[in-house]
Amino acid sequence: MKSRTCLAVMLSLLITVHWGFPVHATDDPGPERLQVVATLFPLFDWARIIGGEKSDVNLLLPPGVEAHAFEPTPRDIVAINKADLFIYTGESMEPWVRNLLGSLTNRSLMIVDSSEGIDYMEEARHEGAGAEGQGRHDSIHDHEKEAARRHDPDHQHSRHHDKIEGHHHDRHGGKDPHIWLEFGNARKMVNHIARAFSEKDPASADLYLSRAAEYNNQLIQLEKAYEQTLAGCRHKTLVYGGHFAFGYLAARYGLKHISPYQGFTPDAEPTPKRIAELIDYMKQSGMKAIFFEEGIEPRVAKVLGRETGAQLLLLHGAHNVTKEEMARNVSYLSIMEENLERLTRGLECS
Amino acid sequence: MIAEIFDALQYAFIQRALVAGSLIALNCSFLGLFLVLRRFALIGDGLAHVAFGTIGLGLLLHSHPIYVSVPLVMLASLWILMISEKAKIHGDAAIGLVAALGVATGVMLASVGRGFNVDLFSYLFGSILAISRGEVILSVMLSLVVLMVIVLFMNDLFAITYEEEYARVLGIKTRRMTSMLTICTALTVVLGIRVVGTMLISSLLIFPAVTALQVARCFRTAIIIAAASSVLSVVFGVFISYLFNLPTGATIVYVSFLLFGTAYLCGRLF
Repeated sequence: MKSRTCLAVMLSLLITVHWGFPVHATDDPGPERLQVVATLFPLFDWARIIGGEKSDVNLLLPPGVEAHAFEPTPRDIVAINKADLFIYTGESMEPWVRNLLGSLTNRSLMIVDSSEGIDYMEEARHEGAGAEGQGRHDSIHDHEKEAARRHDPDHQHSRHHDKIEGHHHDRHGGKDPHIWLEFGNARKMVNHIARAFSEKDPASADLYLSRAAEYNNQLIQLEKAYEQTLAGCRHKTLVYGGHFAFGYLAARYGLKHISPYQGFTPDAEPTPKRIAELIDYMKQSGMKAIFFEEGIEPRVAKVLGRETGAQLLLLHGAHNVTKEEMARNVSYLSIMEENLERLTRGLECS
Repeated sequence: MIAEIFDALQYAFIQRALVAGSLIALNCSFLGLFLVLRRFALIGDGLAHVAFGTIGLGLLLHSHPIYVSVPLVMLASLWILMISEKAKIHGDAAIGLVAALGVATGVMLASVGRGFNVDLFSYLFGSILAISRGEVILSVMLSLVVLMVIVLFMNDLFAITYEEEYARVLGIKTRRMTSMLTICTALTVVLGIRVVGTMLISSLLIFPAVTALQVARCFRTAIIIAAASSVLSVVFGVFISYLFNLPTGATIVYVSFLLFGTAYLCGRLF
């Protein structure tokens, strides 16, 4: 009896698997549209701009799902198996990709690691904001260290080593994975995507590359706007009530950031002393805004706001967008433009 | 050190933590005593899981999860009671059963709704350091209700806790009493989770009760000791965590444990 049930289950599994594949092999529609799967919202946005009418781009994360908590479902894996291009941010943002790659049977799939050639920063630790009320900012320091290391001939090797080793302690592997929030990195990522499109579909290579170049010009414009605006701000420190994704951006424009959280995990509880220090700091420096991240109820930021009378401003990390935002057609550019507006207000830039 | 404590008291968020935290702790200590004696100690954890289930529904109905949670968790708590009476299962198993179902419902509905729009956990589960003024008022009202129930029905509750059959003979409406107690618990758990978080709610339901039961010789003393130890652990927990820069919730749990250890030793020695 038992073995018969077992057999039935196995048989039905076999049938399912068997049905799963030929769809891809035989039912290929005539006009070639590249099937693209992107993991995070910025990658999805860039891929749909570069691919345009020549591609079907799918966002792997359903709208509104928290990026760090995501793992692919079996059906996602089937979708990736049927795709032409799979674009992901990098090892430290999506650690599950490594396992996934091993299980794929799709030989024609092109995998794009968009972080290739981008130097990761160490994860920012939010210590400091000490007695004198000045946030000690680790990531600027790390950035310098990283720059120095770039001249190191063994650099490649050591970075690779770090990556593997970093895997043991936490989900980000000690590296700040939010590389897309700095425009230099964003341009590199756009270029990676465009190159992958051109390799997959050489006939339209020029189109893809010119679209990427055009888009990168827009990024440069925005970058200039950031540079000009953020150079003339009354405050140079961001008070952030969440897990800080803007390490790259802050380092680039010489901003400091302080947060009630000790590490990166938004779940870890902040200590009362830390919150008290931040309140004192905000009162002393006359800061009128506190920033919070998308997708959570900013409870701790609200506490700070209540105590200091500061207003709460959203700083959107663009990991993922909500259904409503998707319907409103937000883009990476529009999110970053809004971020600049709020930074201008919060840091009182002229 | 004293100066630092006075410093701490100047911050509104510390004041709120002390006031709302102590009130919730007081509620939990009263209810916890009955729950522990009736083998429903884990109902705090169980109902937190049910609350997770209601997230999914709140998601589908596009309403704030707390409005969906309160009535549904109340129903779930009554259901736990029913199962444990009718189906010849002990309270702990009944809690486990309903909790598992709650989580499964949450996962199922979330999947049907294609993902959460926001991290709904942050709407459902609070932290003792992030209590708003509204939540303080809520805790005051909640504790008034629970306190009234306990004071009014103290003897009846005591009777049904120790000897349900005898209580029935005495003419006490045991079913109604038990349901009332359960509904109070559900209310305290859902709203308490929103105010101080899951971890604190379940520890505040269990620790003061077991601490009191180590030393108390009669029920009235037990209630008084439970109430005192719950408030002490919150107040000391908040100040210690401020002085030594530690996470507050976890510190409160440790202080509760310390009080329990002391009570245990006292109970053995004297």
